[in-house]
Amino acid sequence: MNARNIILILIGLAAAGFVALVLSGKIMWFSTEPPVEINPNMDLQFKAIPQSGNTFFSDRKSLREPVEGTVPRGAEPYTLGVGDIDIAETANVDPNLPDTEFVLARGQNRFNTFCSPCHYYDGNSEKSQMTKRRWENIPSLMADQAKGYSNARIFHIISAGQGLMPSYADKMNATDRWAVVRYLRHMQGVTGTASAAPTTQAQ
Amino acid sequence: MFSRRFDMGVKVGGAIIGAVAAVVFLIVFFGFRNDVADVGYRPEQPVPFSHKLHAGEMQIHCQYCHAGAEVSAHSPVPTSQTCMNCHMAVTPKDEVQEAKIKVLKDAYEANRPIEWVRIHKVPDYAHFNHSRHIRAQIDCQSCHGPIEQMGVVSQYKPLTMGWCLDCHRSPEKFIVGARPISGVFTGKLHDMKNLYDSAYIFTPIPAQVGESLPITEPQFGSYETAIPPVTVAGIPHPKKAGIGPENCSACHY
Ligand code: HEC
Ligand code: HEC
Ligand code: HEC
Ligand code: HEC
Ligand code: HEC
Ligand code: HEC
Repeated sequence: MNARNIILILIGLAAAGFVALVLSGKIMWFSTEPPVEINPNMDLQFKAIPQSGNTFFSDRKSLREPVEGTVPRGAEPYTLGVGDIDIAETANVDPNLPDTEFVLARGQNRFNTFCSPCHYYDGNSEKSQMTKRRWENIPSLMADQAKGYSNARIFHIISAGQGLMPSYADKMNATDRWAVVRYLRHMQGVTGTASAAPTTQAQ
Repeated sequence: MFSRRFDMGVKVGGAIIGAVAAVVFLIVFFGFRNDVADVGYRPEQPVPFSHKLHAGEMQIHCQYCHAGAEVSAHSPVPTSQTCMNCHMAVTPKDEVQEAKIKVLKDAYEANRPIEWVRIHKVPDYAHFNHSRHIRAQIDCQSCHGPIEQMGVVSQYKPLTMGWCLDCHRSPEKFIVGARPISGVFTGKLHDMKNLYDSAYIFTPIPAQVGESLPITEPQFGSYETAIPPVTVAGIPHPKKAGIGPENCSACHY
C-alpha cells in the first residue's frame, strides 16, 4: 500500500466520519438564513396560525380581537381598575380553596413564575434580581403592611396591579390567583382576613 | 485497443463525475433533510433580546414570558406589554443598553407588535400541542435545548416526525424532568432551597415515565385539541390528562 492510497483512505474515513457526526447532531452549524425547502409539500398552508401575519385581514393579524362589547367564551376578565380598592374588598369573594398540598403547590408554582423576579422566592423583595438591577423600593411581602392586607385586597393587587406593579390577570386565571394568595399567606404565616369590608366584618 | 490517453481520460472523467454525483447526493440527501437543515437556525431578531441574561442570569421563569404554554397548543412569544412590565421601571445602565431597548420602547409606544422571527415550526399538516407535554411535566429543555444559556435562540432539536416518535416510544431516554426555571407544575410543594437552582430536577425521570406510561398503549381517536380539564380542587392536574398514542391521527388531523 503506498502513501497515496493511505491518504485517500484517510480522506474517505474523515468524510464518512463527518457525515456521521452531522447526522447524529454532534456537529451543528448556525445559520441566520431560513432552511431551504426543496419540496415544500403542504408545510405552509393558507390558514390562521397563532401569532403570525395573515394577508387575509387588513391589519395583518391572525389573532382576531373580540367584537366590541362582547367577551370571549370562557373568559373571566377582571373588570376593576387599579383605584377600585373599596369595591374590590366586597367584589372579590374568597372562594376558600381547600388547604391541601396541591393548592399550595399550585400557588408556589405560580408565585415563583410570576412574582419571584421582583419579590423573590420568599417574598423578601430586597434579594430579588430586579432590586439588584436598579429597581429600588419594591416592597417586601413579608412586611407588616402586606401582612395586614385582606385576601380580597391582595387578590385585587395581583389582578389589577398597583403603582408600578403590573396586572397579572392576563397571565393567570382567577383560581390560580387565589392559589397564589393562599401560598403567600402560608409564607407570611398569617391567616389573613377574607375581606376588610365592613359588611363581612359584621358577619 | 484505445489509446492510453483516452483510457486515462475515461478514468479521470469517470472519477470526476462520480465525485460530483457523490457530493450532490450528500448535499441533497443530508443537507436538505429537516433534521440537518433546521437545526442551528438562528435568525437575527428585531430586538437583541437575550435569554442568557433574562432566563439564565436573572432566573425569570420561562412561563413568565411564555405563559399559556401550559393551557394551549401554542406557546406564545410575549407581547411588548410583558416586556414593559419591567422595562417601564428598570432604567438602562448605559447608552449601549438604552439603544438595545429603544426598538422595544418605540414599538410599545406606537402600539405596534414587534415582528419576532419565528424559529421552531412544525409543518402545517402536523399538530403539536404544548399543554399536553407541559402537563406531563416534560421540561422545555427536552425539546428546545438549554435556552437559558443562549444569547440568541437557535433551533436545537430537529422537530422531525422521527424525533417525536422516538420520544413517544421510549420517553425515558429523551425526557428532562421539570426544572424550577421552566415553571412546569408538578403538583407537589417544593423545598425552598432548590428553587434557585436551574439545574435541579423536580420530577425524577423514572417516576415521570411511569406516569406517562399509557403512551405505549395507543388509544385511538381519544385526542382533542382542548385538553379535557381534569382537575383536583379546581385546578388542572397534569398527571391525569389522557393518553398519547403513536396513532397517525394524533398528530395529523
Ligand atoms: C415586575 C415586578 C413585579 C412583579 C413581577 C410583581 N410585583 Fe408585586 N409589587 C411590585 C411593585 C413595584 C410594588 C409596589 C407598588 C406600589 O405600591 O407602588 C408591588 C407591590 C405588591 C404588593 C403590595 C405590597 C404593599 O406593601 O403595598 C403585593 C401584595 C404584591 N406586590 C404582590 C405580588 C404578587 C402576589 C405577585 C405575583 C403575582 C407580584 N406582586 C409580582 C412589583 C412587582
Ligand atoms: C423575559 C421574557 C422571556 C423569558 C423569561 C423566556 N423567553 Fe423565550 N422568548 C422570549 C422572546 C421575546 C422570544 C422571541 C425572540 C427570540 O427568539 O429571541 C423568545 C423565543 C423563544 C423560543 C423560540 C421561539 C421560536 O420562534 O421558535 C423558545 C423555544 C423559547 N423562547 C423558549 C424559552 C425557554 C425554554 C425559556 C426558559 C428557560 C424562555 N424562553 C424564557 C422571551 C422570553
Ligand atoms: C422581569 C423583568 C424583565 C422582563 C419581563 C424583561 N426584561 Fe429585559 N431586562 C430586565 C433587566 C433588569 C435588564 C437589565 C439587566 C442588567 O443591566 O443587568 C434587562 C435588559 C434588557 C436588554 C438589554 C440587554 C443587554 O445586553 O444589555 C434588552 C434588549 C431587553 N432587556 C429586552 C427585553 C425584551 C424584548 C423583553 C420582553 C420579551 C424583556 N426584556 C423583558 C428585566 C426584564
Ligand atoms: C415535547 C416537546 C416540547 C416541549 C416540552 C416544549 N416545546 Fe416549545 N415547541 C415545540 C415544538 C415542536 C414547537 C413548534 C410548534 C409549532 O410549529 O406549532 C415549539 C415552539 C415553541 C415556541 C415558538 C412558538 C411560536 O409561535 O413562535 C416557543 C416560544 C416555545 N416552543 C416555548 C416553549 C416553552 C417555554 C416550553 C416549556 C414551558 C416549551 N416550549 C416546551 C416542542 C416543545
Ligand atoms: C421529550 C419527549 C417527547 C417529544 C420530543 C414529543 N413528545 Fe409528544 N408526548 C410525550 C409524552 C410523554 C406524551 C404523553 C403525555 C400525557 O401523558 O399526557 C405525549 C403526548 C403527545 C400527544 C397526545 C396524544 C394523545 O393521544 O393524546 C400528541 C398529539 C403529541 N405528543 C405530539 C407530539 C409531536 C407532534 C411531537 C413532535 C413535534 C412530539 N409530541 C414530541 C413526549 C414527547
Ligand atoms: C407524534 C406525532 C406524529 C405521529 C403519531 C405521526 N406523525 Fe407524521 N409527521 C409528524 C411531524 C411533526 C411531521 C413533520 C416532519 C418534518 O418536519 O419533517 C410529520 C410528517 C409526516 C409526513 C410527511 C413527510 C415529508 O417529509 O413530507 C408523512 C407522509 C407522515 N408524517 C405520515 C404519518 C403516518 C402515516 C403516521 C402514522 C403511522 C404518522 N405520520 C404519525 C408527526 C407525527
